[in-house]
Amino acid sequence: MEASDLNNDIVHPEVRAHINSLVSALGGVSQEDDGRYQLGDDALEVLRDIKRWIRFYDEKTNRMDVARCVYEANLIEGDLLPILSLWPENATDSKYKARIALSCFEVMVPLTWPIQRDREAMTINHHRHMPVLELAHVAYKRAILNFDGARVLSCAVRVALPAMQKPISERTQRDQGIIKLALFFLRNVAAIAPPPGVAYEGDESQISRSATIDAFSFQDIFHLLLMLASNMGEDFRTEDTTVMEVLYHLVKRINVKELFMTEKQAEHAQGNELRQVMRKEINMLRSQNQTRGGRNNRFGSMIWVKRDDGKMTTLTGQDAVSSAATRQRKMDEAKTFKPPRRGKKEDKHDREIGPAVTLDSRATTQLRTFVEDFLDSGFNPLFSHVRKTIDREANYLMAYHKRQFFYLVAWLLEAERMRRKAKQGSDVRDAEEVTSFNLVAGVLNQEMFITLNRALHNSFEAKEWHDLTAVMRCYTQIFMTVQEMQQCGREDDEEIAENILSRLFYEEATHDAITNIIRGYKDQGFDYLDAATELVHHFLRILESYSKQNVDMQVRSRKRTRRKKKAAQAAEGVAASDDEGDGSGNDEAAAEKTSKDRKFDFIRFASRFTPQPIVNTFVTYTKYYRDLNEDQLKRAHRFFYRIAFKQEMAVMLFRVDIIHLLYNMIKGPEALDASLPSFKEWEDLVRHIIRKCTKKLEQRPELVVEMLFSKLPSTAFFLEHGYEKQTIRTT
Amino acid sequence: SPSGDDALGLDAEINVQKRVRAPTKKLDETLLLSPAGIPKLRSRAKHLKLKGKGHEWGDANRLLVFYQNWLDDLYPKAQFLDALGMVEKLGHKKLVAGQRGEWILEGKRKERDED
Repeated sequence: MEASDLNNDIVHPEVRAHINSLVSALGGVSQEDDGRYQLGDDALEVLRDIKRWIRFYDEKTNRMDVARCVYEANLIEGDLLPILSLWPENATDSKYKARIALSCFEVMVPLTWPIQRDREAMTINHHRHMPVLELAHVAYKRAILNFDGARVLSCAVRVALPAMQKPISERTQRDQGIIKLALFFLRNVAAIAPPPGVAYEGDESQISRSATIDAFSFQDIFHLLLMLASNMGEDFRTEDTTVMEVLYHLVKRINVKELFMTEKQAEHAQGNELRQVMRKEINMLRSQNQTRGGRNNRFGSMIWVKRDDGKMTTLTGQDAVSSAATRQRKMDEAKTFKPPRRGKKEDKHDREIGPAVTLDSRATTQLRTFVEDFLDSGFNPLFSHVRKTIDREANYLMAYHKRQFFYLVAWLLEAERMRRKAKQGSDVRDAEEVTSFNLVAGVLNQEMFITLNRALHNSFEAKEWHDLTAVMRCYTQIFMTVQEMQQCGREDDEEIAENILSRLFYEEATHDAITNIIRGYKDQGFDYLDAATELVHHFLRILESYSKQNVDMQVRSRKRTRRKKKAAQAAEGVAASDDEGDGSGNDEAAAEKTSKDRKFDFIRFASRFTPQPIVNTFVTYTKYYRDLNEDQLKRAHRFFYRIAFKQEMAVMLFRVDIIHLLYNMIKGPEALDASLPSFKEWEDLVRHIIRKCTKKLEQRPELVVEMLFSKLPSTAFFLEHGYEKQTIRTT
Repeated sequence: SPSGDDALGLDAEINVQKRVRAPTKKLDETLLLSPAGIPKLRSRAKHLKLKGKGHEWGDANRLLVFYQNWLDDLYPKAQFLDALGMVEKLGHKKLVAGQRGEWILEGKRKERDED
């Protein structure tokens, strides 16, 4: 290093010198022994020293200097990984080598630890080193996953194996620490991803999610995770959140639907997607061509637009000649004024969850096998245990664990549903003892609902929108699972489902919470909006179908309970005589009454979704119509349909900007793709709404003004019906 | 000579006072309720002819153009959707809300008189 460099070095030169001397003392590639790594004499002590440097210089004083020096000295790739390769898989008895390996991981875990961007704790050093270290992490991950000399991940497991073999009562503090260390190492490797907004310069496929899953599968990490998850609560206790974190980083942002497609289906889906994208582009080009002038851009056409009151506007350009709508748009687009807006804040969460991923076919198969095995054996023990950990707020629980828990439960419930669907397709219906709903029963009990509700309220009040998003997604998936359970045709499952539904139906606190969420939407981002609208959509639908449940079904379930009671009594040896009084004749009358009550309750419940703020949320959502998929479009469509025709509150949609949006969805320059299956539905809906609107305008001319504004419920009621809402009941 | 000094204009006082900017026209309650605002919209609405059933798309277009032209006259600076948003916000102000209520009452009264 030259003198000028020395002065400009951002790390204290003495620190760098110390680290460099330590790294070179660790060992090196020997000249004689055809390039094998030779350990230094005091390698163990050196590793300990490096560990101390990290702990007492970096962590204690909140700097990142040592980490930076270590990266520049190429410690992990140049030394630690070759050292691990000196510990062959069959040499389990060499105590010295095992200790060396452990020390290696003790150094690697802090070096790969996820970097936290906590604004308050960040010093100038963080700002200096973070960009470099983020790239360093990616380089570490690449080296660890693709190291030829040894299976590094399974090395970590081997280090922890002696501790794991002991029964939990005999494990010392140190043993627990070693297990945690190995798990944290796996977590770190899974969590590292290229920082957003920075183009990764190396080979993307070496660090991608597919490569990670491939390595996890090849190095038998999946087996370890399965073992840990299925023994959670017995041989393992405090490891639950870490196992969950590993899972989370492996599956986050993976599309469940794609995971459970057969190869043929996947190919078909990809082809479809390509076709769709190409069609979209063709449409776009066509609409641009229509407005583009046929001559060169200096042709200089200029036209006057005459308005009703004699005003004239001049417009230039060929396209102005093409149509009245284009002229109108050109006049509008020429205006440059923008009302003041607030800037966007950087979102920490986006960094954690990363962009959407696609897996290659090999990784898809591997992950699918793992997920299926996990659902079969690990789901209930792990997630019941984590739920308990969350409930008692254990001291090792981090704030983000809750979010990951709900995200994973939602993801896995969806996976289970997809798997069931795929099975039904291949027509192997088996009458197993363990039904597929039993596999996820751990999250369908009353305790889970309590935890969910609490999380829903807390995260809403604390304005933790990402946590709330995860809770909402979890809720939605539970609804959908319950709904499938209700229709599965197995008596026990149906009964459980009905119990859950009836509880949901009458739980006002949950209804309130959900309405408040959808009502209070403001700038929380698309993901939140998507989750909230999805939740409302399914919530309304499931309760509606519940309220419509016919008398027949009720009678059946009554008979079922009676039969069960009888059976139980018979088993106890009691004569089933006093039960005869409640005969089946009463059943029908009682059932009719309950189902009527329910219908009434549902109408009351659904009318909560008519106020303007909720309509506004759905309008905001619909504004993304160009990017929404079929399901999402359907969701918005059903909501507007419900408002306009079932709830009879179409007045809420009679606002100029809403009409503008709906009109442009069908007839505008950036209209919905007309070949979409849902296009026809939308066209009909919008036409009906417009017709209603023009009719109303004729009936009530005062609507011309009200079309500009949001309406209060009382005004809307008057506009709709022509009389005031009666609030005092006349006898 | 003493008069020669001033030929360069060195002694003349320079007026450093800033020119007062013309106040920007704002889209606020007073503008919205002024004759050029909603009253004009109401009077223009009498000439708005919608065709009803079977002509939904044309009707929607006419309606949108009607509002766009009105807003362009009222507040030419802003684009249609932005201006709509600004007007909608003003609808929550006390003054505007009160006036809205009165217009609705007026409509009710008219209806009653016709009966």
